[in-house]
Amino acid sequence: MKAANSINHGKPADTLQATDLTKRYGDEDVIGGITFAANSGEVLGIVGPNGAGKTTLLEILAGLTPADSGNVQWRGETLLPSRRKQAMFYLPDGIRPYQDRFALDVLTFFAGVYGHSAAEISAIVASVELAPVLRKRVCALSKGYNRRLLLALGLLTPRNVLLMDEPFDGFDLRQSRNIVQVLREDAARGRTLILAIHQLADAQRVCDRFLLLAGGRVQGIGTLHELRMQTGLLQGSLEEIFLALT
Amino acid sequence: MRLPETYRTHAAPLRPLFAKELAEIMSGRALWIMLLLVCPLVGYSFFQAVSLYSEASASASQSPAAATSLSPLDGILVPTFGSFYVAVTLMFPFVAIRVLGQERESGALRLLVQLPYSPSTLIFAKLGAVLAAWSLVAIPALSTLAAWFWLGGHLAPSETLNLLLGHLLYGLLIGAVALFAATISESSATAAIITLAVTIGSWVLDFTVAGHSGLAARLAQMSLTQTLRTFEQGLFSGGLVLGIFTVVCGFAALSGVWLPPGTPKGTKFAQSLPCVLATVAALGIATQIRTSVDVTEDRRNSFLPADQHALATLRLPLVVTVNLVPEDPRYADLQRSVLGKLERAMPNVSVVLAGNKPDSAGKSDAYGEIEYAYGNRSDISRSTSPREILPLLYALAEIQPPKPTHATDYPGYPLVASAEATLPWFFGGLPLLIALAWWWSRQPPSTPAALRS
Repeated sequence: MKAANSINHGKPADTLQATDLTKRYGDEDVIGGITFAANSGEVLGIVGPNGAGKTTLLEILAGLTPADSGNVQWRGETLLPSRRKQAMFYLPDGIRPYQDRFALDVLTFFAGVYGHSAAEISAIVASVELAPVLRKRVCALSKGYNRRLLLALGLLTPRNVLLMDEPFDGFDLRQSRNIVQVLREDAARGRTLILAIHQLADAQRVCDRFLLLAGGRVQGIGTLHELRMQTGLLQGSLEEIFLALT
Repeated sequence: MRLPETYRTHAAPLRPLFAKELAEIMSGRALWIMLLLVCPLVGYSFFQAVSLYSEASASASQSPAAATSLSPLDGILVPTFGSFYVAVTLMFPFVAIRVLGQERESGALRLLVQLPYSPSTLIFAKLGAVLAAWSLVAIPALSTLAAWFWLGGHLAPSETLNLLLGHLLYGLLIGAVALFAATISESSATAAIITLAVTIGSWVLDFTVAGHSGLAARLAQMSLTQTLRTFEQGLFSGGLVLGIFTVVCGFAALSGVWLPPGTPKGTKFAQSLPCVLATVAALGIATQIRTSVDVTEDRRNSFLPADQHALATLRLPLVVTVNLVPEDPRYADLQRSVLGKLERAMPNVSVVLAGNKPDSAGKSDAYGEIEYAYGNRSDISRSTSPREILPLLYALAEIQPPKPTHATDYPGYPLVASAEATLPWFFGGLPLLIALAWWWSRQPPSTPAALRS
């Protein structure tokens, strides 16, 4: 895995910077004062248990949920929520887009929007192993294939930052490893991936850095090595580190 | 695979978006079920209309004068398309809601709003899909025109096209309301309830307060049903067309404001205000446009051409004070045969309804009088016939009545025919074709060679 700095002193032109993001529902802080940065070509894992605020954070980043305070910058320039889609694309969890349409139709639509060639679609279909179900309706896809379809849609979008909520949900161990490989290859081409993951083993396999979230607050941020140093668990797994910090 | 695109606005092509919207609306059951239901509904209405028209035509064969009152617009087109209007009012909301409701419920909307299209472009594409859906559900109604022609019936192109335009605008209006309802609702069911509350509520409003005066009359004029009346009377009204178009654009603009999920509600309300104000202002302008064209072949909405020309030269304001209650049949007669025509022929006509108090009817000698004031002269008449009113107006204006010209008489188009032969088409052939098209639309696409594993 590629090493990356936990504090972003790299090129500001390639950096996503979120500052003091806060969201309340009533009196409850769903997320509070979240600040972090992500570099170009980096895979950042937002790790935390259910209810930690991972999805809310991703939706705020994508501009799909209004934040109560905070801002998001891309390459040093503030991105208003309405302009976030110019830099990033978010794949929500638990959706089945265009259920009555065939998987191929949905792919063709996205490819058409972004002007992809048949060869490019073919490469993405092959990478996520979607070919067997192209002529199936989306509503008839298994959970795993639906997840592959969503991943393919994400890969078709030529945005610099790809936000994914639970990208490994629905995959077995072997399939997860294949998808990890696909995501790593995509990041290696320069795209920033921000993944919300609640399975710590999956997160440890794919991410360069981790943002540990619990109760809507950042409990730790850094590479595995930096988090080990921070907690004093020099041989600790991500799971042990997370338990130590929360 | 392509490298991530540099940070810039992507000018996305519209074709995939339109194709997706069209495919999305066609993949829903609502469209096909509506099409299947419209076939027998419209077919039977057509059959009944032809039967009644034939009976009237048979009677008219004994009297050539009676034949001149037989117009296919009134006898065939309006009743047949009336059933289509009922279908559009009750069923089309379910078709139109699908263009957004399905995406909202499945979560696809969260992907759609991230694509490189502005909210207004997305709404424009969805409205385009609604228009395409209306064109499809209108096929059974349009086929009645072919059936009427096949039976030997007469169709006047201008009045037929005008009626079709009216139904098209009405369909768009319903579609725009449904689209806005789907935008502000979390589920399709809620959107359907809102839309039906508007369409059926408007319908109920129309017939419960019809013939009333004052506020009730103003409320009745806001009914969606009223939009069709003018077209059914054979008038192309510039103000009405602009008004409907304004309301459609207003709902579309509001849908664009309420579509993005990331905008706080307070901001959405604030952005809605200018849309509402602009729509109201445009509607105000539309109500001031009096331009209308009588597109009927029998020129039922106009005086004779010589009178039209003479009246157009009267530049002073004409004030008509009508001492009748609105529900009095004489007022309806006066409105149809004199006032409506005067308003179209003269540049400055205002009508004052003075008999709108409940105790007016029958309790005053003045009840029934209609006063015409032109310049500083006035006269009173109780007639509702243009043969008496026009000379009175010429006298007030101190001009010579135009010489009677021989206008081309409307011949009338009686036709004794039976539409029984068309029933198999509406109850069998057309539904079968629709079912086949539905089946075809559900076939999986062929996989391009490059994607075959």
